[in-house]
Amino acid sequence: MKAIYRVARATFFEAWRRRFLNAILVFAVLIIGSSWSLAYLQPGAELTLLIDIGLGAIRFFGMLIAVFLGVRLIADEMEKRTVHTLLAKPVTRTQFLVGKLVGALATVWSNILLMGIAFYIVFALKAPQFRNMDPEKGPVVRMDFMYANIAKAIGLSFLEVGCIVAIAVMASTIFSWILAAIFSFFLYFVGQMADFFRVLAQNPDRVESAVQRTFFAILYAVLPHFEVFDVREAILKDQFLPWLTLGKIVATGVLYIVIATLIAWLAFKGREV
Amino acid sequence: MTKIYQLEFGRKQTGVEDLNLEVEEGQIFGLVGPNGSGKTTTLKLLLGLVFPTSGTGEVLGFPIGHPAYKERIGFLPEGPYFYDHLNAVELLRFYGGLFGLGGKELDRRVQELLELVGMWDRRHIRVRNYSRGMLQRVGVAQALINDPDLIFLDEPTSGLDPLGAMQIREVITRIRDQGKTVFLCSHLLKEMEPLCDNIAILNRGRVVQSGTVDELLAGPQGMYMLRAHTVPQEVVESLRSFATEVRTWDSEIEATFADQKLAAQALEAVVEAGGTVRELSPYRRSLEEVFIDAVGGEAQ
Repeated sequence: MKAIYRVARATFFEAWRRRFLNAILVFAVLIIGSSWSLAYLQPGAELTLLIDIGLGAIRFFGMLIAVFLGVRLIADEMEKRTVHTLLAKPVTRTQFLVGKLVGALATVWSNILLMGIAFYIVFALKAPQFRNMDPEKGPVVRMDFMYANIAKAIGLSFLEVGCIVAIAVMASTIFSWILAAIFSFFLYFVGQMADFFRVLAQNPDRVESAVQRTFFAILYAVLPHFEVFDVREAILKDQFLPWLTLGKIVATGVLYIVIATLIAWLAFKGREV
Repeated sequence: MTKIYQLEFGRKQTGVEDLNLEVEEGQIFGLVGPNGSGKTTTLKLLLGLVFPTSGTGEVLGFPIGHPAYKERIGFLPEGPYFYDHLNAVELLRFYGGLFGLGGKELDRRVQELLELVGMWDRRHIRVRNYSRGMLQRVGVAQALINDPDLIFLDEPTSGLDPLGAMQIREVITRIRDQGKTVFLCSHLLKEMEPLCDNIAILNRGRVVQSGTVDELLAGPQGMYMLRAHTVPQEVVESLRSFATEVRTWDSEIEATFADQKLAAQALEAVVEAGGTVRELSPYRRSLEEVFIDAVGGEAQ
């Protein structure tokens, strides 16, 4: 555990010195910070736009940071040959890999935390003004569950970027970092549409060929379902997000992280450095 | 052990072939060889960084790659790279932490090692601002952080100025004097000769010659060498008639003789002619000569 902690700690502090990732974070915080002004672009739906931009930015920029950090973790160690001195110490490949992953998770989660705090501040300051913007209809949306739901949505972003980091690290143990980045982005965007493949697989009216439906069914089964982490619709309807539903999403996310880590471990344990 | 690297498109490259080495405890073992001869591959195999294609090995009684022996070894890679956002103290604390060291014991060890390699005064400079020599010095320090029983050094004096190289050689000798074992890889033959107890010469992945330094450098049985200067030219010419080889430069002369009797005859001739004898000793080759003999033929 000590070796994992040491590697994770070094990874965390090293990652925070990467200017490119810091630039993405600064840009994300700027967009989140100015989301209230962008919300005025859609009169009457300011709150919707505020939530869309804020939570959307957290997810999108969190994903960017997760991919760019994840794919470079192992690659940098190999290119700079720092891995030689590290694995010559009492650090197994498993400890090294898990340490790198934990360090990366800590980095992306601290990024999400900062973005989440920025959004929460903007939301707390502006949402009370926006909810009564329509004088004819009264409050556009209620605020019964809004604050708690936003906290839950940010919590799910933690899990989502965790999955992406794990997938990016996994891909980087198999492919070159550029290919790994392409693979990770591809999986993320296709994973957003996973439910669409289920619809196609179960709908003979839309897809006549049984072979094609089977193909879509396999895609649905194999692809990670990133759409489950997006709860913006429920927030906008101010629906209570049941804990059981959240529990299922969390379990799904943890499962993705575990599977990706296991594949990464299988690929890395026999890798020569 | 044999290591064959699988390259792209099914091509293969031999790293080392039928490598068979035994290093005794408490000695400095030198692995020498030209670039690409398999020195670094050998080190990587012993450290478990790459896996043998066939064969096995043991380090400190454990199979290669076993985590247990890594507690007791140190390693300095060639052209070392470290996390460049750290300074020397942070770097050594990081590596020390991997061995479970901490607190005042680690602080004391860090200071001791940085003083040993001459980096204590520059301990707050970040690694990214280091010169090659500074990297090498701090690399030696990190390799010693756990007070290892066995230390692997790949080109330890590379990039160092003469004074720095001498300091590192002193460190290596001191480690051996403490009863520890040093496994040294280098192509700097002049450095290896006085430093090593045993040497193996590697060429194209194979050990082409090995033994103690005395064994390797010993000339043919019974041969003697005479070194002298200001020897009159006619005496030099007379020496050529019974010497195996005579070399001259400036006013110096170096001659080898097949036996002690001929050497004594030459000594007498030089002294009588008023020349100054510098050395008369059993003939000993330089490591460079041994190396060229062992490797040169194959290289051609």
